[in-house]
Amino acid sequence: MKKYKNYIVISIMAVLLFGLTLAFLLKSPDDFSESERRVLAQFPELSSETLLSGEFMEDFEAYTQDQFPMRDGFRGLKAVTALGILGKSDNNDIFVAEGHVSKLEYPLNEDMLNNTAKHFQNIYDRYLADTDTKLYFSIIPDKNYFLAEKNGYLSIDYDELISTMREKTEYMEYIDITDKLTISDYYRTDTHWRQEALLPVAEALGNAMGAALDDRYTLNTLDNPFYGVYYGQSALPLSPDTIYYLTSDTLENCTVTSYDTGKPVEMPIYDMEAAFGRDPYEMFLCGADALVVIENPNANADKELVVFRDSYAASLVPLMVEGYGKITLVDTRYIQSGLIGNFIEFDDQDVLFIYGTQLLNNSIMLK
Amino acid sequence: MLFSGIPFIFFFLTAVLLAYFTAPEKLKNAVLLLFSLAFYAWGEPRYVVLMAVSIFLGYVFGLLIEKYHGKKWDKLFLVLSVVTGLLSLGYFKYADFFIANFNEVFGVSVPLLRIALPIGISFYTFQIISYTIDVYRGKVPAQRNIISLGAYVALFPQLIAGPIVRYSDIAIQLAERKHTTEKIAQGIRRFVLGLAKKVLIANVLGELCDVFQSSGDKAVLFYWLYALTFTLHIYFDFSGYSDMAIGLAKIFGFDLLENFNYPYISRSITEFWRRWHMSLGTWFRDYVYIPMGGNRVTKPRWLFNILVVWMLTGFWHGAAWNFVVWGLWFAVLLVIEKLWLLKPLEKSRVLCHIYVLFFVLISFVIFNADSMREAFSYIGAMFGAGDIPLVSAEFSYYLRSYAVIIVIGIIGATPLPKLTVNAVSKTKHGGTVMAFCEPVVLVLLFILCTAYLVDGSFNPFLYFRF
Repeated sequence: MKKYKNYIVISIMAVLLFGLTLAFLLKSPDDFSESERRVLAQFPELSSETLLSGEFMEDFEAYTQDQFPMRDGFRGLKAVTALGILGKSDNNDIFVAEGHVSKLEYPLNEDMLNNTAKHFQNIYDRYLADTDTKLYFSIIPDKNYFLAEKNGYLSIDYDELISTMREKTEYMEYIDITDKLTISDYYRTDTHWRQEALLPVAEALGNAMGAALDDRYTLNTLDNPFYGVYYGQSALPLSPDTIYYLTSDTLENCTVTSYDTGKPVEMPIYDMEAAFGRDPYEMFLCGADALVVIENPNANADKELVVFRDSYAASLVPLMVEGYGKITLVDTRYIQSGLIGNFIEFDDQDVLFIYGTQLLNNSIMLK
Repeated sequence: MLFSGIPFIFFFLTAVLLAYFTAPEKLKNAVLLLFSLAFYAWGEPRYVVLMAVSIFLGYVFGLLIEKYHGKKWDKLFLVLSVVTGLLSLGYFKYADFFIANFNEVFGVSVPLLRIALPIGISFYTFQIISYTIDVYRGKVPAQRNIISLGAYVALFPQLIAGPIVRYSDIAIQLAERKHTTEKIAQGIRRFVLGLAKKVLIANVLGELCDVFQSSGDKAVLFYWLYALTFTLHIYFDFSGYSDMAIGLAKIFGFDLLENFNYPYISRSITEFWRRWHMSLGTWFRDYVYIPMGGNRVTKPRWLFNILVVWMLTGFWHGAAWNFVVWGLWFAVLLVIEKLWLLKPLEKSRVLCHIYVLFFVLISFVIFNADSMREAFSYIGAMFGAGDIPLVSAEFSYYLRSYAVIIVIGIIGATPLPKLTVNAVSKTKHGGTVMAFCEPVVLVLLFILCTAYLVDGSFNPFLYFRF
């Protein structure tokens, strides 16, 4: 053995080095990483300009990382080593606690909270101040609200976040839903909450806004394993979640129109094509379209609701249609707030601002 | 191009290995030179010409010095060679430093040149200077083959971060060197271990340093954690890179001198500098300190020599006052040791280590500071200045998160792992066990490093700026 040690070292390392290089060269580049849900870098533009500026070299490095053979396997190996062997508490800010994968949300960003509050204030000043609309505000705690501090991870001060946002939005009535939720109401591998656990939340909101919600729902199981956004980011070998969704006669009779492209497009409450697509959570009202209108011909009352929201509301709002003849969802990450007036005439509607803590603390995308 | 990057390992290295080992013996240096120029051009496409001109000037001056050896012209050519090297280094590395200080002192506003620092200029300039000085001293004959000289200066394993290779140490190997399986295997072993030191330890510790610097939740113990982490980080970063350089050179048949020898186990600062960045320390000793008279002069002159050499050593690391202060910090400690402290230190067993580690730790806080103001602020905070708490939530979290890697770093900075391997190898079946384990460990480390690189982890390299 000793005699052949050098030959063995040289042979094995040569096979490994040249083998991986060859595998890279033979592998056709992927456009998209399903697990990370992002577009992968492609071979960069080769020109004298990009070469002399060093841009080619920089982009080539990103290309080799993104297109490396068995990329997901290597990422998984790194994650397991970092978390399991080297004892890191998180890997690229992703951590596992109580069977849930989550991402550090830290620190509390006062500038971002101010930006969020300013955004809400602008919408209020522009559309709501001189109307008979009734204004409500609710904050959706992210998973870290239940997981981080308790398990020794860095955690923002949620009380401070909520009180800061309440102070800055005094023109709205605040509806507390934190006590209606526990960590089991969220997907293990995703950032979002589970629709089948949201009836108490819908009820609390309905009660506060004076909307009667007493529909009976049927629980349906999506026949497609749900690997949430943190599954890919963690690169850990985790079992998938199951998506359940609630149906009722009321929901079935609703019509849904999306104005995502500016023009009205009919769509279902639960988009089964999206349910088997890259992000199955997008089955709920297409996830995060800019402007969606739900009309319910069998509503309990002739009330109308406008919801300023992020993607959490996509699974919640179907549970509120019973109390409203019309619900309009507005996601100002994807539509300029200045354009909202082209679609909605504010009069005496209920208006609910409901956002997850992550977006409030990272509101750079609000337009 | 970093050694610890996918483009280098899986594209450049595979290409150069194929070309080198299939090229006939007499073309091997040309292959190395071509690939070395390509390696440099990858990182510095514009400055490759500057390096080529520097090599050419070194080549011409070497020949001229030898031709006029013993006549007054040889000194002139030597001075010209040294001055052109230093002028180039001064212009590209130090011009803005001097202009900024000139502006500060005289209250004027001469515009800064804002020249990008050519990678590795400090290293290759020193190598060319040492070459012409050695030719002048008659220590080595001038190299008549410009490809061989170019291969020496531009040799990619040591081009951008050393070790600073003396021409005299490598001259014979440039003409004739052996490629044996023993050497290639040794080179692979050294390269993989260096890669692991860099990717698995230094980069991870570097993350923590970055986290600390951007933290809004600092605390006294967080400053100490940072100081400890950076001290380990810079060692694993630089010594890992040196290991990779030495390993790569060995694969191509060259034996480079060692650059690190467990500096953190030193019992004095004097010993520390015999173990830390050895190629730089000996360069300054042989080409600055000894020509200034070394210690064979009057005591005041000797102290002056030490101050000058260490100020220059600090300044070599970067055009900023904190590097000068860093050098002077060691100068003062070395003078104190030489005058009073060395003997008491020799007698102590534990205190000497605490003393060395404390002053080295503080030195690296100065070294890594953006300015002297920041250095003072950090050091002050380590001793409780600035009304900050003793601990903070971030400190506790990151201490817990990085504890294992810090412990691995501390143990890895001592000879303990090496001694353990040697001890096991000497047992009855230890040799066979080690012969089996070694390839397995190397493969595992290489795969792990690849995994860390593919994940796009934090991968800077400190000595790129020198």
